[in-house]
Formats: sequence, C-alpha cells, structure tokens
Amino acid sequence: MAMKNKITFGSFEASCITITLITTQLFLNLPRAMMEVAWTAAWLLTAYVSVIALLLFFIIDRLYRPFEGKDLLDLGEHIGGNIGRIIVGIIVLLFLIYITPVILREFSENMKIIALTRSPLSFVLLFFLTGMIIASYAGLESIVRLSAIIVPIIAVGYLMIITGSLRYIDFSRITPWLGSGPYEIFVKGAPRISVFAGIILVYFLYPFIRTKKNFTTVGYASVVFSGLFFFIGVLIFSLIFQYPTGTESFLPIYELARLVEYGRFFQRLESMFVIIWVASALLHLSILLFLIAYVFKKTFKLKYYKPLIIPFSIIIFSLAIFSHNLLSAIELEKHFRTFAWMVTFLLPIVLLIIARFVKQPAKKEGES
Amino acid sequence: MKNFLENLLLFKEPKQTEKFILKENKQDTEKDSEKASNKNPSQKSNKSKEKDGDTFLDKILGSNQGDDEQEPGAEKKEEKISKKLSTNLKYMKKVYSIPKNGDIVLRAFDIVVKDKTIPAFILFYDGMTDREVINNYILTPLMLLSNLDIKGNERKIIDYIKNHILPQSQLNETSEYTSVIDEINFGGCGIFIDGIDVAFAADVKGWEHRNVERPNSEQVLRGPQEGFTEILRVNTALVRKILKDEKLIVEDVIIGKRSKTPCSMLYLRDITNESLVEEMRRRLESIKIDYLIDSGELEQLLEESSLSVVPQLMATERPDMVAAHIADGKIGVIVHGSPFVLLAPVTLVDLLQSPEDAYMRLPYAHLLRFVRFLGIFFSLLLPGLYIAITSFHQEMIPTDLVFSIEASREVVPFPSVVELLLMEVMFELIREAGIRIPGPIGPTLGIIGALILGQAAVEASIVSPILIIIVAITGIGSFAVPNYSLGLSFRVLRFGYIFLGAMAGFLGITLGLFIQGILFVNSKSFGVPVTIPTGPKTATSFSNNRLIRLPLWKQERRADYLNTQDDTKQPKISRKWTEDNKKRKGDGDEE
Amino acid sequence: MNKKIVFLILVILSSALLTSCFDSKEIDEKAYIIALGLDKGKNNYLNMTLQLALPNKITSGEGESTSTTTVETPTLYAGLNMINTYISKEVDFTHCKVVVFSKELAQEGIHDYIHAMIRGREFRGSMFVAVSTGTAEEFIENATPILEMNPAKSYEMNFRSYEYTGFTGDTTLTNFYMLAECSCRQAFATLVGVNPYEDSDEFDPKNSTFREKGHDRPLEGDFYAGKIPKVYGTKSEVMGIAAFDGGRMVGEFDGQEALFHQMLYGTYQSSYISIPDPKNPDAFVILNVNQGRKPTHHVEMINDAPINSAKVQLEADILSIQSGFNYENTDNIQILENAAEEHIKKGMLRFLNKTRPMHADLCGFGRDLKMKYLLWEEWEKVHWLKKYAESKFNVDVEVKIRRPGLMVRSAPAKGSEGDVMK
Repeated sequence: MAMKNKITFGSFEASCITITLITTQLFLNLPRAMMEVAWTAAWLLTAYVSVIALLLFFIIDRLYRPFEGKDLLDLGEHIGGNIGRIIVGIIVLLFLIYITPVILREFSENMKIIALTRSPLSFVLLFFLTGMIIASYAGLESIVRLSAIIVPIIAVGYLMIITGSLRYIDFSRITPWLGSGPYEIFVKGAPRISVFAGIILVYFLYPFIRTKKNFTTVGYASVVFSGLFFFIGVLIFSLIFQYPTGTESFLPIYELARLVEYGRFFQRLESMFVIIWVASALLHLSILLFLIAYVFKKTFKLKYYKPLIIPFSIIIFSLAIFSHNLLSAIELEKHFRTFAWMVTFLLPIVLLIIARFVKQPAKKEGES
Repeated sequence: MKNFLENLLLFKEPKQTEKFILKENKQDTEKDSEKASNKNPSQKSNKSKEKDGDTFLDKILGSNQGDDEQEPGAEKKEEKISKKLSTNLKYMKKVYSIPKNGDIVLRAFDIVVKDKTIPAFILFYDGMTDREVINNYILTPLMLLSNLDIKGNERKIIDYIKNHILPQSQLNETSEYTSVIDEINFGGCGIFIDGIDVAFAADVKGWEHRNVERPNSEQVLRGPQEGFTEILRVNTALVRKILKDEKLIVEDVIIGKRSKTPCSMLYLRDITNESLVEEMRRRLESIKIDYLIDSGELEQLLEESSLSVVPQLMATERPDMVAAHIADGKIGVIVHGSPFVLLAPVTLVDLLQSPEDAYMRLPYAHLLRFVRFLGIFFSLLLPGLYIAITSFHQEMIPTDLVFSIEASREVVPFPSVVELLLMEVMFELIREAGIRIPGPIGPTLGIIGALILGQAAVEASIVSPILIIIVAITGIGSFAVPNYSLGLSFRVLRFGYIFLGAMAGFLGITLGLFIQGILFVNSKSFGVPVTIPTGPKTATSFSNNRLIRLPLWKQERRADYLNTQDDTKQPKISRKWTEDNKKRKGDGDEE
Repeated sequence: MNKKIVFLILVILSSALLTSCFDSKEIDEKAYIIALGLDKGKNNYLNMTLQLALPNKITSGEGESTSTTTVETPTLYAGLNMINTYISKEVDFTHCKVVVFSKELAQEGIHDYIHAMIRGREFRGSMFVAVSTGTAEEFIENATPILEMNPAKSYEMNFRSYEYTGFTGDTTLTNFYMLAECSCRQAFATLVGVNPYEDSDEFDPKNSTFREKGHDRPLEGDFYAGKIPKVYGTKSEVMGIAAFDGGRMVGEFDGQEALFHQMLYGTYQSSYISIPDPKNPDAFVILNVNQGRKPTHHVEMINDAPINSAKVQLEADILSIQSGFNYENTDNIQILENAAEEHIKKGMLRFLNKTRPMHADLCGFGRDLKMKYLLWEEWEKVHWLKKYAESKFNVDVEVKIRRPGLMVRSAPAKGSEGDVMK
C-alpha cells in the first residue's frame, strides 16, 4: 500500500533535517560522553563509530534496494500485514516518545543553566514547546525547508566556535594516543553508534524523497557530515580540554564557545551561540514531534495527523517534567544511547532480511 | 460559548481543497522524463507529474475553448440595438438618466444624403473625451457629408460608414447596448444612426492625466528614470517600449461591477509557464467586486493568504523591473488607475532586490546589497536584540560599553522595554504623520520633530541617548528594504521581537526567528514557495539571486522554479568577442 | 476561524504578561564588580574584598571611579549575600576582571575557589588570577587607575603587559584552571603587590634578588611585585609569577624568572633585556628580544630520572651599546650573541633548578614525555609531577641578532680629554 504523497523534497533538504536530528546532541553532551569512554582517545572513538555507522548504512542501503519508496511501517506491513505494521510502529513510537521528552528536558535545563537561571523550568519548556507545535502544524514540508535554510547557518556558527577556540589547542592533550585502551574503545565503545540514532528519520523520509538514488545520497550525506561534525567537535574539544578536565564540563561545546574572544572588545560571545543552539534544538524537537504524530497516524491508518499534535505535546511535556532533576534526565539519555542502535540499525536490518523472504506474495500489494 | 469552545478544541475535518502548485509544462516534462534527470526536487517525480500535467493541459484546453465563445460582458444583457433610432435614443436616455445626468452629452443631428435626412445622435461624457476629435473627425464627416450613395443592403451602409466616412483608428461596431455603453463609460463616443441595427463606438479618450514621471517610491541613481502612470495603455506602452517582442501578450480583463476597471495581464507567450498564465487568468476572471481602484486592492484579492507575513505579489512603479521580470517568465498585472504594477510569482529574494543590483558593476552591486541586508537585519532585529542583551546577557556587552549604558540609564525612570516601545511608537508616529503633513514642510517637519523630540527626551531624562541611537539605526535600516510591503511587514514583526526579547532574551528571539522562518517557508506565491532558492533548493539557485549575483554573462538560465517553457536566457558564451579575442591571439602566435 | 485566532492571541498575550521576565534585569539594576580579593579571615575562613565600578564617575570623569568593600565570611557566595544587603544594587560578577588571592590563602590551596568560578556562569574565562604578596585587600585598595577613568580597562591593560615586558604571564582563569588539572604541567598566577616606598631615599637593595642570582647590581627583572624601587603614581604592582602544585602555591618567581619561564613555555613575545657587556663588565648592551621559534622540549628517562632538555631560539635587535664597542660587524656580533646566550642560559638553568624542589613543571616538559605513551594508565604510573623533582636540565639557547637599529657603529663623544667611552 504505497502512500500517495504529494509532498516531495530534494536530497539536500532531507540531508539537512537528518543531520540536525543526528548532530544536535553535539550541543548537549556528546564530546563529554565520548571522553568518558575513551578518555584521551575520544576522537578515535568518534571516528571509529562513524565508520561503523557508515558500514551499517551501506548494508541497509543494499538490503533496501528492492523496496523503493517504502518506510519501515510499509516494510512491517509487507511482512506481517496490519500486525507487522503495528508492531514496528509501536517499537518506533516507544523509541521516539522515550527520547523526545529527555531531549526537551535537557535543552530547557541547559537553557536555564546558561541564560535563564531564575525562570521556572515550565516557562522555558513552554518556549520550546510552542516552536515544536507550530512547526508540526505547518507540516513536514515546512520543517524540512526551514532546515535547509537554518542548518547551513548553524554549521557556520558551529565552525566559528571551533575556529574561535583554535588558539587554545595543544596536541599533547590527546596523548596518550590510545587513552583508555583498545578494548575499551573498540569493543565497549561500539554501542556508541547509537549517536547516529537520528538516522532513523531517513527510513521515514523515503516515501517523500522517492527514488533509490536520493535515499542513498541522503543516507550517506547524513552519516558522513554528521560524523564529520562529531569528529571535529570531539577532536577540538579534547585538544583544548585535557582528559580529566573535559569530563567535568557539563556542556562541552558551550565551554568551547566561552573561550571565543577577539581582543578586549569581543568577549563572552557564548550568548550569541545560544541562538544557533536554540535553533537547532527547535528544529530537532519539531521533527521529533512531527515524526511521533506521523508514525502514530500511519501505524493506525488514521486520516489526519494534526489532531494528534496537541495530545502528544501534552504527553511529552508531562514526561519532560517527570524526572526529578537534570542528572536523572541525563541518566535516561545514557540508557537511550546504549540501546538506540538496536532500533536504528538492527530493526531495519532484521526487517529487510525478513522482507526479502516474503517478497513473492506481497509484491503485488506493494505496487498498488 | 459551548459551541465556541467546541470549535476551538475539537478537530474539524479540513475541506479538501486542491491548491495551485506551479508545475512544469508539458514539453518540459516530456523532455525531462526522457533525460530522467534529477536536477531539482520539483523534477524528481516525473512519473506522477506527467499524469498531473495531462490534467492541467486538459483544463487549459477546456477553458480556452470557453474563452473563444464568449466575450467579457456579453452575457449580462442580451438586448440588441434596434433599427429604430428613437428606440435607441429612449433606451440610452434611460440608461444614462438624461437629463438628470450632468456630464453626459447627447448630441442629435441629421445626416443629409441627397434628398433624405437620416437622424443620428452621438453620446459621450464631457471631460473624458477629446472635443477636438469629436468635432473634426466624427461630426464633421457625418454632418457635412453628401453624396452618400446608398445602395444594396444595410450591411453595405455599415461598411461604408466604417470604411470611408469615419477616420478613426479605433472604431468598434457593435450590435449590443452593453458594449457601446462600456465604451462610453470609458471615454468613448457612441454613434447611433437610424436605420441600421448597429452602433459605433469611437475611441476619443481625452481626459486629464499625469505625465510619465520619475517613480516616487523606488528611485535609483543608475538606470531608467521613468515610472508608471495611472493610464493603462501608457503603462502597457512603457513595458512594450522595453520588450519589443510580438510574443509579449497583453491580455485584458475587466474587474469591478461598478468601476469596470480595465486590467491587463502581461506575459511572454513562449516563455511563461502556461499553467501559471491559466491560473492568473482564472483568478482575475473570477473576481467579483463592486469597485477596484488600485492594484493594492487587486493584490489582496489575488493573494492566497491574507495573514501571511510575506507579500505574495510584488508591486513596482518601474517599467524596467516589470520588463525584466516578465522576460524571466513572470506575469505582470496592470490596473488602470494605479501606477503600481503587480508581479507574480514572487520570492523573498526578488523582494529584497533593487533594480540597481543588475545595473551596477558587480563589486559595487554586492557592496550595496550587503549594506541593504544589514539595514534589513537592523530594522527587524536591532531593538529586540538590544532588549535581549541588556536585560539578559549583559556579560557579552564589552565592559566599557556596559558602564556607559549604565551611566546613561541611571536617570531614566522607565524600564528599557517601555523606553524602547515609547521611542518606537514615537518614530512610527513621526513617520506616519510625515506622510500626511502637506507640501514641502512634510519631511522637514518630520526630521525636526524627530531631532527636537529626541534631544528634548534625552535632556529630560525620559530616554537614554543609547536608545535614541538604536531607534535611529532601526529607522534608517527600515528604509533600506526595497519593497515597501515587505518593509511594513518587518516593521510589524519588529514589535514581536521586542516582546520576545524582553521575555526570554535570546531564547525568545530565536523562537521568534524560528516561527518567522516557518511562516516564511509556508507561504507560497502562485504555487511558488517564497523562500525558494534556499528553502527548497533548486538547480539554478546560484544563477542570479541569493546573496551573491553572478556576472551578467554568467546568468545563462531562467529561474528554475518558474518552470518556463524556455530555460535558457542566453547562450553559454554570451560575449562572443571573448571567443574572437582568443582566436585572434592564436593567429598571432602562429605567425 | 477568526475567533480561534483571537483566542490564541489572547492566550499567548496573557501568558506572556503573567509569566514574563523572570531573569530580566536592567543594566542599571546591577553593580558590576571589577576585582575580587580573597584573604584568609581573622575569625572566619575568608575576608572578601570587592571593587565596584562606579559608572557615573567613569563616564563623567570626576572623582574616584571605584568603591571597595570588604566583608568577613565563610564562603564566596555567602559573602556575596552579605554584601548585597548593604549595596543598593545586585552585585554581578560578569565583568570581573581580576581575582586576587593572598599568599597565605594561596598556600593553603585555592582550587575549590577556582572550581566555583568555573561552575558559575557569571565569571568570565578571561579574568586574571593573581596572588598578592601582601593581602588582597591591600592590593585592591591601592589599585587605582592613573591613565584611564575606567578601572576595568586599567586592570586588563596592566595584566596584559606581559606581552611587552615578559615579567608576568598569561594567567587567565581558563589557563589557570586547565593547567591546574593537567597531569603534565603546573599552574601559575601573576604576582601582585603594593609598593612600600614613600620617598626615593628609602630604596633598599635588599628587596632585590640580584645577589642570590650573582648579578653585580639589580637588573630590571630582579624584583618581586611590591618590591620595585619606585615612588609616586599607583602603588599597585604586577611583577613575577607564583607557582602552584595541586592548587597550592609552592613558590614565587621574580620578573626575570617569569621572563625565562615565558621563553621556555612558549608564550614569550618580546621585551627589552639588558646583557652585561662582554667587553666591559660595567656597561650593558640592551637588546630587544623576540622569540624566533616556539621552544622545543625533550625528555629522556635515564635510570627512572628525567633529563629535560629545551631548545630556545631567540631573535634580537640592538637597542643600545653603552661601551661603544663596535659589535655591529659580522665577527664581533658573534661575541655579543654568545654573551647573550650565556646570560640567558644561566638564568634559565637557575630558574629551572628553582622549580624542581617545588614539583612545579611550569614549562611543560611533561608534555613531551606524555606524547610517548599509548595508554593513559601507563602514563599515570609515571607520576610525572612527583618525578619532576629528580630532573636534570639541559638548555640550549640560540640568540640571533638580526638588526643593529638605526646605527651601524657607535662613534665616541669627542671631548677635551679625547674620546669619551664608558
């Protein structure tokens, strides 16, 4: 049952939104999390994880060949009809509903720490929520188009932070070269591919970007560019903050931004950084909220997704204020980062392999 | 109340409406599907497009046939002109409420033919017609005529009068009252002659009007200095003067039940996307309104969303702009009585461009463009940023500046938001009043008012001097927006940013920018997203617009989003002489 | 539809009015601190001194531009609360330019204060960390700007003077924090003090370090802050650095040692250096010395004891040759270069040997050793900072004199008794 989509967009837009979904955690705690595992070799772990993600995507891309224009739900339906679709849908929904409040909470809390120390949390949450709801109402097309405009700006701002803090780098800080040791990095660090959890978006964008070629382009571009951004961020961060010190900092990229200064006049520009930071958070959260409503709609074959936005945003809001403090929210994210790869990489691979076996009977249905 | 709440909270199924999307025309899709190229997102899905394309073509064909059969206004009344002059006279007197009506002139006379006198009358509006023309070229030939040899049938007489007697370039022969009435209403002269069942309508327009002058609102230093006037035909001529191409079509549409305002739709037959023309025609023809005075009203009637933050049609006073855009594949709409011509579809980049961008040499054009963008940035965000920074992010202000701001604010009684709003409202007031103040004192009074007010306010410690600077820069910046309508939009949005900045600093500002971005990417002008070169990325996005402009000889293709019938603007090598130069040099080397 | 929009707008507006502006604080509702001083209290843990900027005075240019207040308190933020009770505006650290610890407090350890400053969002990373030879209170009380009305600017310019004197170092909070937690280097802070002299007759050579260094007379850098023989003008002084080990101050270095530290550390830019004239021990040659290339370090472990070698490459221009000897030719310039190399090398070795018992690897020799390890655990086992005390030092100084200034030879002054030369 191929969806007849009127909305289509190009691979550039799709890559931009996927990159946002993947890389936003860079602004949260990714460099620190990497450093906690690999110590001084955090950059190595990042590169290693990116390569694994690339390989996994290569496999998925190969397996996806016969199923052009189908997202995970279509695949579920292809395998097991309604039941298959609903199972896949519920897994993905749980996955999304788990992470969205956590991210929302973290961004709002961080906002409170770095700028709005006295505002109540719900006030800050409301700001993010407003943006999310408006964007979700405007629909996928608008979010994706906006991302094509915003993401390059965010990238430029991010690189400005990186270049601004370059004068503090010292190569001895990433030595000893292997940090916590090869076993820690290459075996225990492998589940860290979950940092690419956002790639799940590509499987759902497939019906909108339509062609196989676009899917491949978007997937590779997202993984490569996200990996590059991760790598640059983690490398520069560990070149500036040596191993034990770096694990202290709560918002690594923000700490880098604090270092940016040009002479006596331009100091403490980190507040400007708040702009690109909030923009990427809003984009990230909007697409997540939209995705929740969209997946729900598609899973249960509803006609409209818009009425779902408000209920889901209320659920997300309540879940976001559920954890007692920021640290427990971070703990939740840590758990997420250890199992997320199962949904983003394992689930599609399993689905695709099974789908290959049941290809014959369902083919006609797929074409209708 | 219960109903209201229900409406508010419960979801209502939206009505299924198909919105116009600018798609590729038939030839294009065929060409492209052969190539199966992936140049741009809108071309991605050739398969389904073809289907849609067919239906569109059908629509076009269908309505075109309809157009041929009926002429505008013909359907209203079916009354035919009678052979009897007295009937006609009675009818016209009734229509024009003669003698109640003061400025209509009914002149009855006789045409003497040999021994027979044929009564006739002419009818025209005094003041809208040229009396000389009527006296010399209508009354004189008819009244002083003799030897009219009437033989054969009635048709011959009509032809004879038309072909030999009335030396008029535009003489319509009609058998219906409505069309002759329309002509008279628009400065024509109706001629009724006894014994024939047609009337003539001669074009003798001659009302007072403004000459072609410099455009008031869009002045440039370099480039043509002509602006449109209020006369439709003068305006079309101004465009035709630039685009001397027989493929430039000027399609007339009459809008308004009472005003019957003639409007013209201008496009290039072999460039502009057919479905776009069809859509514009459809919209124009479907407008049912009492009166239409200015193109500003037409703009509101044509746009898709009335609350959108971006203008969806561009209004310009400059014939060169209109010609350039039409040549690029857009449609112009001229309204009689308005010196502003509408252009569609329009993107944000078009609205931020000044005609000088194209006329200036590349480096200067870029300097001007960047200064303009800076001005726009200031006009939109500066007050909001000021509030956000001074009340939330003081650490990023340089220490020396913090001290001077603090010292200057020490004696001011208001919080800075109130202070800022006060000054902004003041400035808007001066600007609004400045337009209304009559005559040459207007601008002077505005400036003096601003200066004196500003100075006095600072001296009375009502506002701080830093704030005056902020408001002044904002004001100056807002004049840098080339499009008046967009400038107004930014003026309104600015207040939103002040509130958001005062509420939550940069978080608020960013939320504002995000929402504005969503609104921008969501708005479409005739099926074209207004943020097009970046919003949805298109193939030729770098060809002309966006932040940088390529050299003129490099602008080889038309904007991709317009899906024009002919994509190329100029050949790959548009400066032939560079090739010649190379050849010449080669020859020299050989010798 | 319209009703809906109106309702939404009302909701948004009312929520905006109800919640609005929790954090919003006008600039003129805050009192900006430009210097923070921390001393050991008499009865409590801390004696906290704040120097507040008085913006009205700064812009009008009349009267004192700062106001100082001191309070005895258990902790930093407790003190802040106490001060807020009697200062009309809310005290704000965002524009604090310098934090001064007294020597006594620094010797007990200041890392918890540094952590508090890094943790809070108010303190800026470019704030300078200083140790006062006397009390911090005294220093801040006496730090009155002379050349400018703006005390913040005065601090910034003064603490950045190392760029052209070399007598202190880049001791911003960020730098201090990162060095203090580094496993291969040690942190240092600027040494500040208050000048005791009222009259130039009181100048006492005992306050200089020239004797222990073997100089004949005090050279320009042979002083600690607060000991410079000078009168009039501001009483506050900035000279020398204080070395830290594990957040505790372990020693102080005078101006010249700070200069050698910078040369070895790699942050040296340029300054004037007086070299005793090799031909005439009574006279000086004055050079304007720049760092030619960044210094390189090399560490070798022999019998579990490190041998640290450094190579320093300097370039110099001649500013003055008091003896009038014609050094300005290709043969003689060698003599001068060797003398300069010898002078600098001697000073450096002295400086390095002084750091050794303090466990203060100020110059970052450990970096080189650290780069040779593959695993963090192995590197940890080295215990570099402990091992540093067993180091031996090799310094290779290379001075290249590039330009003689505007003169290529010095002709003697003609007098009745013939040529006059020193």
